[in-house]
Amino acid sequence: MGTRVVIAGVGSTKFGVLPGLSLQNMAAEAARAAMTDSNIPPARIGCVFVGNFVGGIMTGQELLGPIVAADLGLSNVAAVKIEAACASSSAAVRIGHDLIRAGAEDAVLVIGVERLTGAPRDALTTAMTAAIDQANEGGAGLTFPGFWGMVMARHMHLYGTTREQVAAVTVKNRQFGATNPLAQFQKTVTLGEVVASPPISDPIRRFDCCPATDGAAAVVLASENLARQHGSPAVRIAASVLVNGPARITDYEDIVTHDGTVNAARRAYESAGVGPEDIDVAELHDCFSIAEIVDSEDLGFFPKGEGGPAVTREASARNSKVVINPSGGLLSKGHPTGATGCGQIYEVAMQLRGKHPNQVPNARYGLTHNGGGTAAAVTVHILEAFR
Amino acid sequence: MNVQGTVQSHTVIRVPDKAHAAMAPFVLLLVELAGGKRMLGHFDRAEPPAIGARVTADVVEKETPVFRVLEETP
Repeated sequence: MGTRVVIAGVGSTKFGVLPGLSLQNMAAEAARAAMTDSNIPPARIGCVFVGNFVGGIMTGQELLGPIVAADLGLSNVAAVKIEAACASSSAAVRIGHDLIRAGAEDAVLVIGVERLTGAPRDALTTAMTAAIDQANEGGAGLTFPGFWGMVMARHMHLYGTTREQVAAVTVKNRQFGATNPLAQFQKTVTLGEVVASPPISDPIRRFDCCPATDGAAAVVLASENLARQHGSPAVRIAASVLVNGPARITDYEDIVTHDGTVNAARRAYESAGVGPEDIDVAELHDCFSIAEIVDSEDLGFFPKGEGGPAVTREASARNSKVVINPSGGLLSKGHPTGATGCGQIYEVAMQLRGKHPNQVPNARYGLTHNGGGTAAAVTVHILEAFR
Repeated sequence: MNVQGTVQSHTVIRVPDKAHAAMAPFVLLLVELAGGKRMLGHFDRAEPPAIGARVTADVVEKETPVFRVLEETP
């Protein structure tokens, strides 16, 4: 039993197309908001972790840890970038959590940031495929829409999941995004528009895909005692888990079950002393519409094969037991890869504080699920409201 | 070396990375070989075979195999 760790403060930029803002600009904006929100003096922060995936490829900027720390006026701190593809900043949260829990630090600032817009589409696709094992599978031309296209085709084959059920994920998440001021897409779409959108990697179509997004989000982690001293609007971290999963599509026993998610969820539920039936709100890694269905099954919200029907009977909509992706998810809020993990924690923290634009009534437990690569680096965080 | 296996899943890559831009669109197959090992490969037709179809390919080191249907699935 170590020190209890809390999310003491959160901050975020809007997610979307943000021309004219550098990685440093976005990171500093989110970080300052989180530090202000926490009420914890900057001098108490011992570490700055910056989660970022393709900053070097897309913008030419590396060494984000020390640069962002300097921009924030933080000196004599450990400041490094942490990379785990799309799970970069949630992986950083796990590391920061462990430092505080072990008593090595009192407060850690974690920032996620990414700039993905402004580049040609093939350049972006090439950057994203850096998270595919290039030596073994890159040569075949596998992309992430290709990976999820194969997952979707097999899920439909094995379980009878329909094209309309998968499209319903996008429709639902666009509805949520329409009322989240931070979301990139604030316009609803119809089932017909999703099904008729251009094919990307069959059977995945454009509206099944998350957009390219710029943005940053940040969280201040602290010991519960420090947060209480400064009156932080804290939520407790009941579980923080980071595990690896198959790093190649050919390593999967079956691509419709993602071992990293299954294992991370099992460990998180054990650590928190709760089960999937206790979760009120969840932000899942819906990088593609089929991903939300697979993830919701692997996290234990629905039996394997029933994630598709669950979407169309609105089991994961606004008034259901577990509300999934009320932020709009990656499909609607957007997916600034390195920032997504912190962005999900921002959303769930606001839910547990009762201050979310798409508030889930009386939310006590919230879960975030963030995956990097072919679900090769997976985090699950369970947060609990103080009552 | 010749391999045979069963199609686990498929996709048609229409938005490739730079290295595969000239090939697109192309079929990508996930094939389970005898013994359980899995392999990614291309397909010799524009439309993918059914999941469960039996396919075969001649494998050359450091090259992506191109599968063809071994027998039509009933």
